[in-house]
Amino acid sequence: MKIPTAMDDNSVSHHNGGQVGSQIGVSVNNKQNEEPSQSVQYSIPGILHFIQHEWARFELERSQWEVDKAEFEARIAFLQGERKGQENLKNDLVRRIKMLEYALKQERAKFHKLKYGVELQQGDVRPPPEESATEPEPVERTQWKQGRQFIKQYLQEIGYTDTILDVRSNRVRALLGLKNEDSDNSNYRNYEKQQHDRCDYSANHMVRKYDYGKEPRKTSGSSGGGYNDEGMSVQETAAVFANFEFLTNQEMDMDEIDDLDAKQTLHASGKQGEEVDHEAEEVLNELNMLTINEVVSAGQGDEYQGVTSGGSASASAASSSVGSGSGAGEADEETLGLGELAQLTVSNEPEAYDVAGANKESFRKTWNAKYTLRSHFDGVRAIAFHPTEAALVTASEDHTLKLWNLQRTVPAKRSAGLDVEPLYTFRAHSAPVLCLAMGAPRSEECFSGGLDGTIRVWNLPPPTADPYDPYDPAVQGAVLREHTDAVWSLASACGRLASASADGTVRLWAPRAPRPLLATLRPDDGPPPAAGPALAPSPAPAALDFADAASRAAVAYRDGSLLLYDLETGQAVLRLGCDSPANRVRSHPTLPMLVTAHEDRHIRFWDAVSGQCSHAMVAHLDAVTGLALDPNGLFLLSGSHDCSVRLWNLDTKTCVQEITAHRKKFDESILDVAFHPLRPYIASAGADGLAKVFV
Amino acid sequence: MTDGVQILRRNRPGTKAKDFCRWPDEPFEEMDSTLAVQQFIQQTIRRDPSNLEAILKMPEVLDEGVWKYEHLRQFCMELNGLAVRLQNECKPETCTQMTATEQWIFLCAAHKTPKECPAIDYTRHTLDGAACLLNSNKYFPSRVNIKDSSIAKLGSVCRRVYRIFSHAYFHHRSIYDALERETHLCKRFTYLVTKYPIIPQEILILPKLDDEVPAGESEA
Repeated sequence: MKIPTAMDDNSVSHHNGGQVGSQIGVSVNNKQNEEPSQSVQYSIPGILHFIQHEWARFELERSQWEVDKAEFEARIAFLQGERKGQENLKNDLVRRIKMLEYALKQERAKFHKLKYGVELQQGDVRPPPEESATEPEPVERTQWKQGRQFIKQYLQEIGYTDTILDVRSNRVRALLGLKNEDSDNSNYRNYEKQQHDRCDYSANHMVRKYDYGKEPRKTSGSSGGGYNDEGMSVQETAAVFANFEFLTNQEMDMDEIDDLDAKQTLHASGKQGEEVDHEAEEVLNELNMLTINEVVSAGQGDEYQGVTSGGSASASAASSSVGSGSGAGEADEETLGLGELAQLTVSNEPEAYDVAGANKESFRKTWNAKYTLRSHFDGVRAIAFHPTEAALVTASEDHTLKLWNLQRTVPAKRSAGLDVEPLYTFRAHSAPVLCLAMGAPRSEECFSGGLDGTIRVWNLPPPTADPYDPYDPAVQGAVLREHTDAVWSLASACGRLASASADGTVRLWAPRAPRPLLATLRPDDGPPPAAGPALAPSPAPAALDFADAASRAAVAYRDGSLLLYDLETGQAVLRLGCDSPANRVRSHPTLPMLVTAHEDRHIRFWDAVSGQCSHAMVAHLDAVTGLALDPNGLFLLSGSHDCSVRLWNLDTKTCVQEITAHRKKFDESILDVAFHPLRPYIASAGADGLAKVFV
Repeated sequence: MTDGVQILRRNRPGTKAKDFCRWPDEPFEEMDSTLAVQQFIQQTIRRDPSNLEAILKMPEVLDEGVWKYEHLRQFCMELNGLAVRLQNECKPETCTQMTATEQWIFLCAAHKTPKECPAIDYTRHTLDGAACLLNSNKYFPSRVNIKDSSIAKLGSVCRRVYRIFSHAYFHHRSIYDALERETHLCKRFTYLVTKYPIIPQEILILPKLDDEVPAGESEA
């Protein structure tokens, strides 16, 4: 009757389909039914308006209900999670209680036995069963690591950026005994640590701690990790104790408990509870963001950060136990929040933060082969870098020296390394060139000594020269011929040159002077040896280096003795010795220390003041032939006939890297190594005719 | 390498010149380094530089390409001695071009376009270029196995190297003679390229002074 007309009107007014229409139809019907009983004030527009109004209201309510429903669902999930966490916590605590009881019984038994010499009759004393694995098997550990990785990803998705993680991991790593901290900071870091560790509250851990709870406590420095573990567990249990009032009469001589008990009363637990709830909420939301609103979680993630910083600020500003207390509480919440992940032990800690902290470890540089210098026909006896440029000079048994510019590379087949072709070939020696020394910076000269007994001065062509330029005789400088036998070692400093030759002498030169030879040093006149047996040095110096800002020269002889000459007087002032012949000697750039490389595979460190051998170490599997010290005096490079180049940290005298390079010709392999004075290059020269540069 | 008696074939720093590389010879079969051929050649030369037969006698197990390659390396190395001597005498003003006889002018191939270098430049550039080529990873990546495609390169290197000899012979005779007396280098070179054909015989224009070379060698 009228219903159809009403519905037609409704359809005109663009309402939805049947359901709405039926609703309106019903109300219209009602209205229509009511209509006759009331006065006829209702007009069609009024009805329509009313209908529309009602419908809009219903829509509003529906959306409201849906919002509420979602909210309630979230709340339910949250509460469920909370409850689950509480249950876990309860289980942990119960387990701990059992452990404590067990420990107490043990202690009582011990005490009784000690006191009375007889066993105490107790109920069956057995350790509580360990339901869950405390030390997870590696398989589980990897699973947890994976889970952890997922968590990390999720955290990142919600905007929990890497910087936050890095900051935390930094703090954690600082905490983990990498530094020595005083107790205040350690407590602070316990707070942080609890935030980040999934602490191991397992039975074993507890037993360990409490078994030696009565031992004198170790200093924080020596066992930072252990101390922190102890302290942390103590604080955490202190919090638990405060809540449960359990075992307060225990004779534990752990000071923190007393401190914490005292301090706990000062602070409103309400604040702690507040923080705890807040923290818990954040944590849970982070985890639940998979299912529910990411926006909400993100917002709360930021808050979490804010709370963290707030918490940390409070921890550092106020007494440390605030942080520890809330941290303890928070840690509990964290365990409840993370369920199984709480099982991840402290021992996993360093590994777990490998990813986050890995890029922080890059202070140790790994050297990789970059350039291969091929052009010599025979073994490369000596190698030296240009003082400033990325260039180097090699001296070879094929009678030539070659200058190389590392910026001019030849496209090589292998992508890993670059081949370099020489810039210039120095030809003048008529015998193998055995040693090489670079001149002073900006002098653009270098010196070479050969088997023919000559020392030649070379003026280096500029690095931009073309290899196939016309011959320039000016490249060849002076020739110093005073030696009568092979020149095996050269050293240059402050415009002066020192050479050691197989004719038994060490000579000092000023190469640019008209009369270059300044002094000739022989080993015959010298003091008795400072250490070691009285050796008559065989008259063949093997290697030399300037020492002590070029006022002295250290010369190593073939029989193993090491003489330190004062260059002013020409006398040997110190004689050091050992049995094994030395192949190289280098003096430390800053310290009064000499380093020698020996045939017996050792590298020895000598104090240049006292003459004592301060350290000797087996460095290689075969004779050590090359030595180089980096310009800052921190690292040592050594090369050996066992085809390996090793990089050593001079402070710890440990090898930080080994590089295998070069092939053997006869029994020789690596003949020289060098550091660049300014740039991060190291080079090795081999008997196979190659020189390699590593970056 | 070392045998049971632990002979270490090393030149330790401080060795006198006369003691350089003074160690007992090692039979080729016992050498187990990748540079065995070079070691062997150098050892034989050191024992007697004039004994060409022994120097050039190839061990049976060896690939001929490798033998030629290693010998060529040794030649380029020893030619350095010639270059050193020439550096003092062969000036761009006196020898403006690289010639041997009046017939040919040799152009230096070390440049992008062949250039008429003075003799001393030709010598240096050729030796440098030979060093780059013989050591290049592209053509000679391995020292125990020579690619067939690279054998042709040996020929061109030999040709150029021979020109250095011929220039020295015709224009700096005294230097040439002195070097020959010491090292028998040119003779050895000629012997090598005839015994293991690397370059055509017409190129060998230097008159033979001795009759040690094998028969069948034509003289231009």
